[in-house]
Amino acid sequence: MIGFLVRRLGWMIITLWVVFTISFALMRSVPGGPLSSERALEPEIEKNIRARYHLDEPLMKQYLRELGNTLQGDLGYSFKLADFSVNEIIAQGFPISATLGIVALGVALSIGLTAGIVSAIRRQSLIDVTLMSLATVGIALPNFVVAGILIILLVFLWPVFPAAGWGNLSQLVLPGFCLGLPYAAYVARLARTGLLDVLSQDYIRTARAKGLRTPTVILRHALKGAMLPVVSFMGPAIAGILTGSLVVEQIFAIPGLGVHFIQAATQRDYTLAMGLVLLYTTLLYTMNLLVDVSYVYLDPRAKLE
Amino acid sequence: MTESPRLLEVRDLAVYFKTDEGIVRAVDGVSFDVDRGETLGIVGESGSGKSVTNLAMLGLVPQPPGWVERGAARFRGDDLLKMSERKLCGIRGRRVAMIFQDPMTSLNPFLTIADQMTEMTRLHLGHTRRQALSHAIGMLERVGIASPADRIADYPHQFSGGMRQRVMIAMALSCHPDLLIADEPTTALDVTIQAQILELLQEFQREQDTAIIMITHDLGVIANICHRVNVMYAGKIVEEADVASLFASPRHPYTLGLLSSIPRLDERGAERLTPISGQPPDLANLDNGCSFRARCRYAIERCANEIPELRMVSHGGQAACHVDVAEAAGQEKAHA
Repeated sequence: MIGFLVRRLGWMIITLWVVFTISFALMRSVPGGPLSSERALEPEIEKNIRARYHLDEPLMKQYLRELGNTLQGDLGYSFKLADFSVNEIIAQGFPISATLGIVALGVALSIGLTAGIVSAIRRQSLIDVTLMSLATVGIALPNFVVAGILIILLVFLWPVFPAAGWGNLSQLVLPGFCLGLPYAAYVARLARTGLLDVLSQDYIRTARAKGLRTPTVILRHALKGAMLPVVSFMGPAIAGILTGSLVVEQIFAIPGLGVHFIQAATQRDYTLAMGLVLLYTTLLYTMNLLVDVSYVYLDPRAKLE
Repeated sequence: MTESPRLLEVRDLAVYFKTDEGIVRAVDGVSFDVDRGETLGIVGESGSGKSVTNLAMLGLVPQPPGWVERGAARFRGDDLLKMSERKLCGIRGRRVAMIFQDPMTSLNPFLTIADQMTEMTRLHLGHTRRQALSHAIGMLERVGIASPADRIADYPHQFSGGMRQRVMIAMALSCHPDLLIADEPTTALDVTIQAQILELLQEFQREQDTAIIMITHDLGVIANICHRVNVMYAGKIVEEADVASLFASPRHPYTLGLLSSIPRLDERGAERLTPISGQPPDLANLDNGCSFRARCRYAIERCANEIPELRMVSHGGQAACHVDVAEAAGQEKAHA
């Protein structure tokens, strides 16, 4: 187990380095740069700024400098958000996006698992068809449509929640629900398929032939195996959900990370984009590692190589 | 004749399935009895309804697409088919236990052997965790698992196929059931293991007076351990007799075909094996004739118009055939 974790940690560092290198090369090779804007700068000023951010150095030197700083945990200053270091931006935005993400995760798992399990047990019934149609709609509907409908219903027609903002619990409900809903739909479908698959196994027939009641058969004999596909899905899903969503955060005016992902890329904010890419890579890698480890606890046949 | 109720009386059991091709009559009017300490063999090819008959008695046919169309299965006088799910749960595993064909898939891979064995005796016999564990270890020892106290915490994948079937048997018999339904328990095992498993079943039967329904397509298994045999074809019992009579003088052409399609050591000369030609009928499209007639060398005109009923025949059992097979076979030999 320890050996496995150490090996995977080694691979993570290599992965991060590769991601760093590719991102660096990609960003420098696309047209435009952090200083291109509609208003042309005075050549003198531009020269000073380029020197300040070391953009006047040869690319290789820039690459090594940035890599060295990153290794020391310093992601540099943002090009666009003056006075803020990338570390500060992440330290401010990530806890907010992650909090929203955890709420969304709760929504996704509680609604998704319940719907999936009920659908599987009552397969081909009215309730199954209804829940699975809703799941399809949930996957198909974009966030902003769901958000719009919820705001009309629960903010204007029947005012129970605030329209937007950040700071108290009631402001978490609507965005958390909007962000979690598509994931809930995926989880529901995966849980249903997983459970149906397990329920048709021979060992479930054995369990029933032993005289166990249906709830026992499902809870003790079927659920563990049925959760495997959900767990695999949740790894990357959690990484995505924790780093925030541009759409949901924009609609509900939440100062999370979501907006930076898009803006850093479009504005060629080299340092901020790099920081966010590395953050996402780390999260994704960690979540997948957790999935692999949890498999060993879920399925006794699985072994960590 | 009706003093104390028999252990199991199945009457006119019919189980249908709804499929895309129409309604499949998987089991259609099957009746038989099982007494204490007796071994009844049910033999037939795949799809003849032998497994479904037994699953239906315990309410284990997947619904949908299957359902019990009619009939009764009285276990010690109570009809299992009319029982509430709650009451039936008290019979399954406690009074009537089952073991299945494939020991590789019939045990839950996510739970230890201890989990799977103890949950049964804790439920049915009210054992405490500790009682259940020591009982389970005793059962494993009984079926020949070496150092059971150490192995009981293992998962199924840590056992071989033969060992898993032993675990299944130990589990099935752990509540001392009155009836054990063994659905092809040796089919997935190699021959030496097969013999050991059959011996084990017989040992338990002698000790606990357990009745066994042995479902198989292997006539060798039937000859080995059964007292009486039902031959099933296309959802019906076509012949029923005690095992010696059935092997000595089969009275249904299908049984005759089954017997002449297996090699026999006691027959001198290199007589060729004769397979039964053709395919079993489509159970969704049965007509008003004998369902075996297309494959039957003795078929007469009447076979196409009238479904033969089971009737008493000279070997003391019953057969469902319009033709006297013994006579017809004799004439055939005389002509040749």
